[in-house]
Amino acid sequence: MDMILQQVINGIVIGSVYALTAMGAALVYGILRILDLANAAAYAMGAYAGLFLYAATGNVMLAFAGALLLTALFGLVIQKYLYVPVLDRPPIVPLIASIGLFIFVQDLLRLIAGPHIREFQVRIPFGEIKTESLTVNSTWIFIIALAAVLLLFLWYILTRTRIGLAWRATAQDLETAKAMGVNVNRVVALNYLLGYSFAAAAGIMVSMLYNSVYPTMGDVPAYKMLAIIVLGGLGNPVGTVAAALLIGLVETLVAGYVGFFLPRDAIAFVVLIIVLLLKPEGLMSKTVK
Amino acid sequence: MKVLRIENVDAFYGKSQALHNVSIEVREGEFVTILGANGAGKSTIMKCIMGLMKPKRGRIFFRGSDITDRPAWDRASMGIGYVPEGRRVFPELTVEENLRMGGYRLPGKKAVDENIEKAYALFPRLKERRSQLARTMSGGEQQMLAIARALMPDPVLLLVDEISTGLMPILVNHSLAIVDNLHSQGITVLMVEQNANKALKYAGRGYILKTGRITMEDTSENLKNNEEVVKAYLGG
Repeated sequence: MDMILQQVINGIVIGSVYALTAMGAALVYGILRILDLANAAAYAMGAYAGLFLYAATGNVMLAFAGALLLTALFGLVIQKYLYVPVLDRPPIVPLIASIGLFIFVQDLLRLIAGPHIREFQVRIPFGEIKTESLTVNSTWIFIIALAAVLLLFLWYILTRTRIGLAWRATAQDLETAKAMGVNVNRVVALNYLLGYSFAAAAGIMVSMLYNSVYPTMGDVPAYKMLAIIVLGGLGNPVGTVAAALLIGLVETLVAGYVGFFLPRDAIAFVVLIIVLLLKPEGLMSKTVK
Repeated sequence: MKVLRIENVDAFYGKSQALHNVSIEVREGEFVTILGANGAGKSTIMKCIMGLMKPKRGRIFFRGSDITDRPAWDRASMGIGYVPEGRRVFPELTVEENLRMGGYRLPGKKAVDENIEKAYALFPRLKERRSQLARTMSGGEQQMLAIARALMPDPVLLLVDEISTGLMPILVNHSLAIVDNLHSQGITVLMVEQNANKALKYAGRGYILKTGRITMEDTSENLKNNEEVVKAYLGG
């Protein structure tokens, strides 16, 4: 029983990280119908920024805050100077731009920090939960709590603020939202600001979990992010969180109980294929349209 | 005073030209209609005025100032209300949220709340349904909501795009009566419509649009009696 609980908690930790990774790209897709793979560049960039800031300050909260701020600014700049100028082109153009940016950022990180794996050992300023057979270490608690805070913050913005209302209207009908006076560029800017800082948070969390930071660490999350976006109903924030948790749980449970009959990272796509066969519109697409 | 002046506008969808040298004027207090068959370019004119499409040539003036290069989101706050073709209410927002979106550029929450109360006074049905999702309402109710939403920014000019699309005849009459009532309260109206009979009943003046070109412009009286118009648009 505790074994199951242990695996479930582990799955929730992984799922929270996936949710933060995919959210920015899902929200952008929800509004602009473009895929932003470079969202996963923010993930690696955030991890490095977190690593260096932690080394410099020794304070994990400061490291997170600084890294989130930095990648948020990065997101703002690239949406303004890279994406907005190509938005009236066919969607393949911003997609290719995002792939190019993704590769560029990875190589930039390699140039700055070197190709080798760096360790990221963090002391969390509080203890772990331990029972006879169950251990929830402090890194896990920290990750779940921080992910919950960030996602609740997003939920608050989307449902309780004026710009959040504009975001929802824009996702439902971009053209009409414009005609009502919504400066769509501003909504998209907010989207990048939040999305990239969320991806950065996810990057730092994963680095802490696996004690490693490397330039291409965004590769697998980039592909997995696509599976989560599709499963989550192509831009539905609640659906995205649900899909991320589902994949996190399935991965952990399959790896824990069934064993490695296939690589762990392939499981997300197996889930994707199964869900698309049974429910082609995604898990929660109804609330998007 | 001219509220709207469209000068020699050409517009394209990709390579195909939708508007050819279109010029239209709407004076303050007028109710003007643009008549034309499906695909004649009526909605394209509306989108150009609203900034949702950029004309390739020509200028658009609103109350004397050139708005051709202004983004769409500035035009609502300048005093243009827009009732899009097919209503286009935000399906997953509540009635009240839809109205809030209509008043998105009003200065301050108080102004928005006041105008929402005005909209409820005008359409009590919307007040009953205030927390209902727009997609769960009937076509007629959605049309009311689309009109109420367009009134939120206190528009000087109301653009009404094909109000009859997808509505039962009785609801078409009802919607047109609402627009006519707004006109009599001082709002200038530009309405494009396929249903020429009904449009000419309310409008004072009309343009005929044929495959992207304005072919005729006259008072509604004269258009109703014009043999060509009767034959082509009034089923005579």
